[in-house]
Formats: sequence, C-alpha cells, structure tokens
Amino acid sequence: MLNETPTRSYVVSDASFETMTPAILVRNLHKSYGDFEAVGGIDFEVRPGEVFGLLGPNGAGKTTTVEILEGIRPRTSGEVTVLGYDPGVDVKALKDRIGVCLQSTNLPEKLKLHEAMTLFGSFYSRTVDGNKLLDRLQLGEKRNSYYSQLSGGQKQRLHLALAMINDPQLIFLDEPTTGLDPQVRLEIHGLIQELRDDQRSIILTTHYIEEAERLCDRVAIIDSGKIVAHGSPKELMATTLGASTVEVKIEQPLPPGDLPKEIGADRIDISEDRKQISVTAQKPARAMVELVKYIDQLGLELADIHLKRGTLEDVFLQLTGKKLRE
Amino acid sequence: MNKYLVSILTNLKLTSRDRMALFFSYAFPLMFFFIFGQMFGSGMGGGIVQVVSSVLIIGVLGNGFFGAGMRAVSERETNILRRYKVAPTTAAPIVVSSLVTGWVNYIPSATLIITLAHFVYGMPWPERWFSLFVFLTFAVIAFRALGMIVASVVNSMQESQIVIQMMYLPMLFLSGATFPIDAMPVWLQSVAQFLPASHLYNGMQGILVKKESLLENWMALVAMLSTIVVASFLSIKLFRWEKEDKIRTSGKAWLLAAMVPFFILGIYQSYTHESIGKNKQLARSLRRSRTILIRGARIFIGDGTVIAKGALLIKDGKIQQIWEGDGPEPKSVKADPIEAYGKTILPGFIDTHIHLGAPGGIPEKYPADSKAMHKAVARELAAYLYSGVTTVKSVGDSIDLMRDMAKLTDSGEKLGAELFYVGPMFTTEGGHGTEYFKKVPAAFRKQLEESIVRLPKTKEEAVRMVGELKPQGVTGIKAILEAGGGSFHFNRMDTLVLAGIAEGAKANGLPLVVHTGDDRDVGDALAVGASGIEHGSIRDVISDAHLAAMAKMHVAFAPTLAVMNAVNALAAGNLDILSRSLFEQSAPRGLIEATKKALGKEEKKEGFAFPEDLILSNVRRAAAAGVMLVTGTDSGNVPLIHGPAVHRELQMLIKSGLTPIEALKAATSNGAKLLGVANRIGYVKPGYEATLLIVDGNPLEDMSVTERVSLVFFKGERVARGDLFDDDLEETAK
Repeated sequence: MLNETPTRSYVVSDASFETMTPAILVRNLHKSYGDFEAVGGIDFEVRPGEVFGLLGPNGAGKTTTVEILEGIRPRTSGEVTVLGYDPGVDVKALKDRIGVCLQSTNLPEKLKLHEAMTLFGSFYSRTVDGNKLLDRLQLGEKRNSYYSQLSGGQKQRLHLALAMINDPQLIFLDEPTTGLDPQVRLEIHGLIQELRDDQRSIILTTHYIEEAERLCDRVAIIDSGKIVAHGSPKELMATTLGASTVEVKIEQPLPPGDLPKEIGADRIDISEDRKQISVTAQKPARAMVELVKYIDQLGLELADIHLKRGTLEDVFLQLTGKKLRE
Repeated sequence: MNKYLVSILTNLKLTSRDRMALFFSYAFPLMFFFIFGQMFGSGMGGGIVQVVSSVLIIGVLGNGFFGAGMRAVSERETNILRRYKVAPTTAAPIVVSSLVTGWVNYIPSATLIITLAHFVYGMPWPERWFSLFVFLTFAVIAFRALGMIVASVVNSMQESQIVIQMMYLPMLFLSGATFPIDAMPVWLQSVAQFLPASHLYNGMQGILVKKESLLENWMALVAMLSTIVVASFLSIKLFRWEKEDKIRTSGKAWLLAAMVPFFILGIYQSYTHESIGKNKQLARSLRRSRTILIRGARIFIGDGTVIAKGALLIKDGKIQQIWEGDGPEPKSVKADPIEAYGKTILPGFIDTHIHLGAPGGIPEKYPADSKAMHKAVARELAAYLYSGVTTVKSVGDSIDLMRDMAKLTDSGEKLGAELFYVGPMFTTEGGHGTEYFKKVPAAFRKQLEESIVRLPKTKEEAVRMVGELKPQGVTGIKAILEAGGGSFHFNRMDTLVLAGIAEGAKANGLPLVVHTGDDRDVGDALAVGASGIEHGSIRDVISDAHLAAMAKMHVAFAPTLAVMNAVNALAAGNLDILSRSLFEQSAPRGLIEATKKALGKEEKKEGFAFPEDLILSNVRRAAAAGVMLVTGTDSGNVPLIHGPAVHRELQMLIKSGLTPIEALKAATSNGAKLLGVANRIGYVKPGYEATLLIVDGNPLEDMSVTERVSLVFFKGERVARGDLFDDDLEETAK
C-alpha cells in the first residue's frame, strides 16, 4: 500500500491486512476546483467498527474528502466505495444508510427537537425512536424546546442525534467539537466513545490533536490535499520522528565529539553553547540512562533532565513543518 | 410517516410560530385593506371589490416572492438547507411543502379580507365563491412556485432582493392591482399582459365583478397551472442546498423559462387585445358601482311629475332612493355627494331614429374599411352620450356592424349611448330607401342593398324575412310606406306585404315602426297594427280619426321635426344648427368645417321645403288627441351630425305647441315605452337604471337649457364627458 506521493509521506505498514470488506475504500481520489486541487490523490480505508480520524489544518482537504464520501460533492477522479456504494452513483441508497454530522449546519430557530427528529426521520427507510435517541444524548428534557433555545453543546448533541436517526452503520463527524468549550468537548468525546462501543464505523475529521489521539483507532494526516502519514496514533508517534525526546541541561559545555552509540539516538540536537542536549530515541529510558552515565563520566554537572513524550502535534509539525492550529 | 406530509406539517408549524410570516400574511394585508378602504372613502360602493382584489393580489405576490422565495434563500444562507443535503431526499418535499404551506396560510387570510369587506364595507358575498377559491388556489401556488424558482437561481440574499423587486414592483404597479390599468397607454397595457400578475388581476376581477366562471378564465388558469408545473420542476432540479454552491449567471434564464406560459399569453393578448378590452369593462363595472348622492336639483320624473327640489341616491348603477327637499347627509348613506342646486335631473334622452352608417356631415374622407367604420360609429355613439342622449335606435344600418357596436357598449368596453337597432329597412323595389344605391357601382350595390334594405315581394316572403332578422339581434322592425310627393316619387309598398311584415313582427315580438309620408300611409300602418309611426304626414293633415286611433292603440309618433327643420334651413342656406355649442363640442374634429365648406360649394336646391306649419300642426293636434309622441331626429342626414339633435327636436316640439312636460316625456319615458324598456330606463324612479341627464337651468321654463349639459350618468357611472373623445387624440397624433 504505497502512497503515490512519497516525498514527505511516511507510510506505516499494515501487517494484518483486512480481509473484511472495508466500510470505506478510497483510491487515488482527486478533487479540483478549476485550477485549484483541493484533494490531490489520496488513498485510505476505514474498517468496520473503527474510528478513523482525518487530521489536518483548516483547508487541508478534510471536509472536501468527507463530503465526497457522503455523496454530496462530486469527485474529479479516483475510486471510492462507501458501504459498498459508489457515492457518485448510488447517492440515495448511500445517504439512507449513513449518518452525517456536518460542520456548521443549522436548523430553523423555531423547530422543536422532537419535530426535528420526526422531520429528518421521515427521509429514511429505517429509523429508530427519536425520543429514545434524545434521551440517550441527554436531550430528553429539551424535546419540546426550540432549536434556538439550545446551548452550543446541546445543538451539537442534537446534530449527533439526527445523524443517528436512521441507525447508521457508518457515521461521518465533520469537526464535531469545533467551537465548543473544553467541558462540552469532553462530553462529546464521551458520546463518540459510546458510539464506537456500538461497533459502528466512524470517520472523524478534526484539527484537535488530542481528539484524534483519544478517539481514533487510526488516523490519516492530511495536508494540502495529500495524506502525509497514516496509522494508529501510537504507531505514528512511535515510528515517526515524533518519538520521545530526552532533554538535558548541563553547567559546563559538552566537549566536542560524538555521543556514545549506546544511547540509541535517532536524532541529536546540541545547542550552540553546547550546554543543552536533546536526544530523540525509540527507547527513551535506555537513552536517558546512557546519556546521564556519559555526562557523569565526563565529570560535568547535570543541571536539569526531563523526558518529553511525542504527540501527534509533533508528528504533524515534523511531517509538514506547520502547526495544526494556525 | 410520509416525508411530504411531515415536511408540510413541520413547515406549517414553523410558519405559525414565525411572527414575521404571520405579520405579512395577516396584519399586512389587513393594513392595506383598511388604508385603501379609507382612501376610497364613502361612496365606494362596488369599489370595495377593487380594494379586495388589490389586497388579495398583494397577498399572493408577497406570499410567493417573500414567503417562498426570500425564505428559501435565507434558509440556504443560514446553512439550514445544508442539513437536508445529507439526507436521502430530493428537494421535492421542501418545494412541495413550501407550495402547500403558502396556500394553507393564504386562504384564511383571503377569507378574512372578504369577510371584512362584506361586514364593514357592505361588499356582497362573492357569487362565484368556488371559482374564486380555485382561482386563488392556483394563483398562490403558481406564485409560490415562481418564488421557489427565484430562490433556486439566485446566488445570494442581495441577488434575491434585486430579482424579486424586479418582478414584484412591475407586477404591483402594472397589473392593475394598485393603479387602474385601463387608464394606462395601450402600449403599456400590452406590456403588462406579459406579467403573470396581470392575468391574476384580470381573472380575479372577472370572477368578483363580472361573476365569471373558471371556464371564462381558462387561459389564465392554464398559464398558472403550467407555471406551477414548470417552476416546481425546475426549482427542484436547480435546487441548491449551500450558499457556496453557485449557479452560473445564465442559470437565471430558467426563471424566464418558468414564465413562458405568461409570455405566450402576453403575445396572444398583444394580438387580440382581449384583456385590454376586459380591463376596460372591469374598470367600467367599478365606475358604475359607486354610491352617489345628488342633492338640491329639480327632478323630472319622466311620468310628467316634477320634484321642485330633491335628492337622489345612486347605488350599484341604479337609482336607489329619492327624497324631496335636501335629502340626507351624504355620510349617512355612505355616498359621494354632488351638489346640484339650480340644476335639473332628467332621465337620459332617447333618440328613436338615427342612421349611424351616415356621418350626418360631409367629411373630407369617409371611413375606408370596416375598422374605420367601427371607429366612426363608436365615435358617434360617444357623441350621443356626450349630449345627454343615452339611448338610440338605429335604422337601416348593417346588422353586423350594429351588433358589434352594441356589444362594445353593452359590455362597457366602450362608452357610448345604449344602442338598439332594427337592421335593414323593409321597403319595395324602387321604393324609398333604394334611391341611395343608384349612384353606387353595381359591384357593391348588391351588398349594400343586402345590409340596408329588405325588398319582400309577397306577404309570405315578408313574414320569412322578419323571422330571419330576429335571431340576429334586432329589437324592432322598420317598414317604409312612403310614396313621395312633389318632385320625388317612389314605388309604394303593397299593403299585403306590409301586413306580412306586421304579422312577422308580431309573431317575433318585435315592435313595428312604419315610415309614413301622408295620411293614407298613416291609415295603412294603423290598419296592420304598427307600434310606431315615423314622420307622420308631410303632405296633408292627419285625420282626427287616425289620431284618435293612434292614441287609443298607444301608437308612438316620431315626427322627426329636427331633420325637417334642418333640411329647410339648409335649403335656405342656413347652417346655424351646426354652430350650436353642443354640436361644436361633440362633432368629430373638422367635420363641421368640412361640411360647411362642402355645402357652400353645392348649388342651392331650390324648390323643396317641408311644409313646417302643416307638420307642426299635425304634431300639435296629435298631442292634443293624446297620441304618445317620441323623439326621433333622423340624424345622419346632412346636416344633422350625430349627437345633440334631440335637443333641437325638443325645441321644435315646444314650437309646435307642446308643453315642456309633454315634450320631455317624448324624449324620455315615451321613447322607453316604444323600445320596450320602460321598466328600466326613461324614468327617474327607484329601481331604474341611473342613466340620467343633468342640465343647468330649468327646461320647464326654457327648453333650450337642455343643451347646457352639466352631467351625464350612464348606468350609474358619472360619465367623464371630457374623456369621451380621447380616441380622437390618437387619430390626430397619427
């Protein structure tokens, strides 16, 4: 499974290749708006029952990609299968079976919650009890309230409820927590985890790194319309330069010369005054012990030492040279 | 539940919770209703129907363009429609629910307006309520659909504002809903026929005012139905869920596609001018339905009695009530007041003998074709109305032409005197009436003869010929018995043939009027039971026995003094009659000058003059014997240009010795009796048509004051006399 744009990509090999039919299969997907290429040939798949994250900054092509998958935007080229349907062809059948929580949608202000459930339920061939859904999303007491009377978090929960009205096997959550305060975001995270426990496939786009780390089984990092890496968050962190880093400060400058091989460093950074050393390694504990041992042998005074664990943020920064949120 | 049903129910609930929507559906039309109602004020009468139509149309337009169009755009702009996009549905439930919701909202609002109009302003309940309901249903759904397609082809709120205003404003101002469309120039009226709202207005007015059925408005219905289908289909196909989804500028052409049915109607209308005619009729109906109180005038009732000072209430085209004295306060009877102190109200005058096919003067150019002929006759009928002669009977004119003209004036499309006609005159080979064809080229002679005379040779043929005329709309029969005298000699009709004509007329319920030249003719006419005698005798004394018989049998006598007087004057080189102000006012421009010029060149025909003293004494004796006199002027004969000659006839009747009351009865109730319409015109009585002449002064003291026409009312409409000849302006402009 090779990416066609290998320059900056880092592909995590997939040992246990799925024999099950994937919920989503994307091959060499392109989407252009005139001269602008929003999606530039991406491949990925989402397995049944997994939470798959599309991580990337604003304008990376995440929303375009999911909208193509949802059947609401035509693609320029490439192969796409969602629940066995081609979103460009069997739109209606596809829409009937997926649940979608779009970014920044609204409902009429004076629509009551239970009416919203009935209204959107009426479009599907199969529906679940709207009131039960509202209860489950802690909106039972609000069922007779107007949409305009809901808080931001409640609105988002309602949109989640609407996305589940047809008991979908596959749910699209496009930036489900954007613009919500941290407390509400945690609440939504809890709900998504519950959904995962129902064995539904979920595809989630986000630019919150901790959301992806916390919720996703696998993540694809997307930038400028291309996937620059994908795999489980742990794998990504472990196998990219985003592994853990040991940072050491010493009182006297480090004499010239290479650090011992026993440290097992993937990357070493030494400051200009040679008083700060930063070592990235696959086995940070080993590296720390070896580094301290070496400094001690040189008779240098240790000023500070700490271990920094890698994050997807680091992975992203290192892969793209950009920060996620800017 | 079905998605259409749920969408409709949800949409209804949302609308019922939307204060703006409620304001625009209910409060806004009500506001308009009361403002317009107050503007029209008292005396509105049937004008309330105009107000109701205006408000209903404003409602339909607002409901369509703002309720459907603007709202759909706003839902797209606020990302509401986006949510539907991911559901497995087309735009159909959204569009359909918008159409249905608009309708459900509109109907109660329309009902409310109609109910208020009934209880507050006394508008009668719509007789064709079902037609109105169906028509409004089509209308509101069609305009909703137009609103939806506007929403589908605009890219932003701003664009929708522009497009909607571009459609809304012309429809508001040019459809007739807010400004009287019949007052606009014809080209603008033609342009307006391309606007959907014009047909909405036309149909609604037709149903409310003229009590038309749906079938009579089928073209508008089909256009609206096509718009519903086309616009709904297109707006579903072109529906856009997201503001980021833009449609190409050329996409706006689809909007035009949705209005194609109305373009077709517009093209049809600019060809036929059908709607323009109908607009005029509708406007006429409204003008005829106002409530007016005329106060302070002397009232000549028509039966000979006179109210020295009285008040008269006109309502719905009829005389509603008469008071002696000053009458009620106008406000108390919801009427527009007209102060008429010092004036005299009379029934509109009746001229029972005119020839519309002849101009009466000598124009530089005669009408060249049928269209010009129609125009000329319409102008003549307008001149009568101008002069206070509200009813005329044409004799010896083409039936087809008369039927067209009667239709034009009866429908109200054109304003002119009410036209009765007998069509061709019955005479005999070589008889009076046939001499006019002698100069006509043989090729046309046959056709002209066919339209102007009937020449039955036997009694049976006479009966048959009368029977053939009846279905063509004639309201009477005229036969000529005149054999001439002096230097004029004609073949005289066989009295058996005359008997046949009388038999046919009786069988068909048509009054027979006989043109007579002497006492023998009168006797023969009386013998066959004629209803009227024209001219009487110009050669000898009508015998007392004949006069007594005429009185006993209620035979009307039209002595046609005006034409005899004018012909005599002309023979003496005197054309003073054409200098009478009323002639100058009402004659087609240039006709009097042209006539004077032409007559000046002609050599004077010496020798012939009507014996005025004899004729006047016959009239005086007839009146004394109790014969029913009627006014007939023979206008159309040079120099009697159509219009005011009845006034001269009245003066001649006075000259012959009749009392003013006898003379005025001849011009009013007696004429109505001869025409068989004395149950609706000819009198100033409650229940009679408000067809009136108001003159400055007192004709009982001085008959010449009838020429000082102050106001003319025709079937309740206060005739704008100054506008009657507006078509002349177009002529001169050309």
